[in-house]
Amino acid sequence: MRIVILKAGATLLTVAATALSALYVSAHLKNPAAPLQPTVLNVSRDASVSAPGGTLTLGPSVQPTTAHPVTSTYAS
Amino acid sequence: MPPEYSGRLRRAPVQAHHFEALGTNCSLFAIGLSRSRLLEAEFWLRRLGARLTRFSPDSELSRFNASPGGWRDVSPELESLLRESLRAFETSAGLVNVAVLRSMEAVGYTRPLSEGRPVATEPRACPLQALPEVLAVRPGAARLEPGAGIDLGGIAKGWMADRLRVSLGPNALANLGGDLSAGGAGPAGAGWPVGIAGATVPLREQGAATSSVRRRRWGENHHLIDPRTGLPARTGLEEVSVVAANGVEAEIVAKAALLVGPELAPAYCAAHALAWWLSPRQ
Repeated sequence: MRIVILKAGATLLTVAATALSALYVSAHLKNPAAPLQPTVLNVSRDASVSAPGGTLTLGPSVQPTTAHPVTSTYAS
Repeated sequence: MPPEYSGRLRRAPVQAHHFEALGTNCSLFAIGLSRSRLLEAEFWLRRLGARLTRFSPDSELSRFNASPGGWRDVSPELESLLRESLRAFETSAGLVNVAVLRSMEAVGYTRPLSEGRPVATEPRACPLQALPEVLAVRPGAARLEPGAGIDLGGIAKGWMADRLRVSLGPNALANLGGDLSAGGAGPAGAGWPVGIAGATVPLREQGAATSSVRRRRWGENHHLIDPRTGLPARTGLEEVSVVAANGVEAEIVAKAALLVGPELAPAYCAAHALAWWLSPRQ
């Protein structure tokens, strides 16, 4: 009798954990504000600026500044 | 003395050091670091650069290239760079292939440009073999297949910039000929202000790099080989600058974007970069 109760309890616990996990995942599906989402999903938030010679695009995690640059990237 | 530059926020004193190495201009910046520490970093760079250059027959890389066909002992630094090269090949779908040495030699790029222009040649198309087919790495050793040759090129600069930045402490910036690696909050707390295509962006735990065919040109040839043809790349893009998670990643993405050309580069950069500059053929 004791073994049956233990088995039933374990089964009940497993089913409850599975159901609660499913509910939680369903309620938190595709959070658009998640910070780790791939950049490609945010293409529409990129800012493109045409400049002489080409186009500069800044993703949402890179914001321009008015500070004077200490150095720059360039072809060498 | 710290360099002078403007900024409206309160600035921390920046120690800067500029020098020529690796055949290009290099700059190191750090907050709260002594000048002697920056000089030590320069010496580290020069020593490592001498071991990794393909232009010196005595370098570790040249000796590795000259002894194909069997397992050869390699230093931890070369092993790490070769592993990084294999990763670059994989993540760029084969567009970034360091087994490019024979093609470089075929287009005449056999000596540093500071020693004279390469001899113009008319190379024939010969697609490169996939890097994993000619290079294998195991702990402490690597193996190169006969006929293949390695030129670490920009990957080495990006990798060394990342290493230097870490070694210089939590708030530092390394720029090795346009391959940048920045860490920490910079002098004003918002990151290190860095120029990219006329704009200034603050870099913080990020890297930047430029790949271009406008420099290192001679005749119709230049130094950027397209592994699909074994010839100097002609894709419609002439210059790509990229901001990415670190220096070596930026180098890989910039080169791959230039090689995929103007139609695919925007989508490629959107997936792999944080900011990008695409400059088509003028």
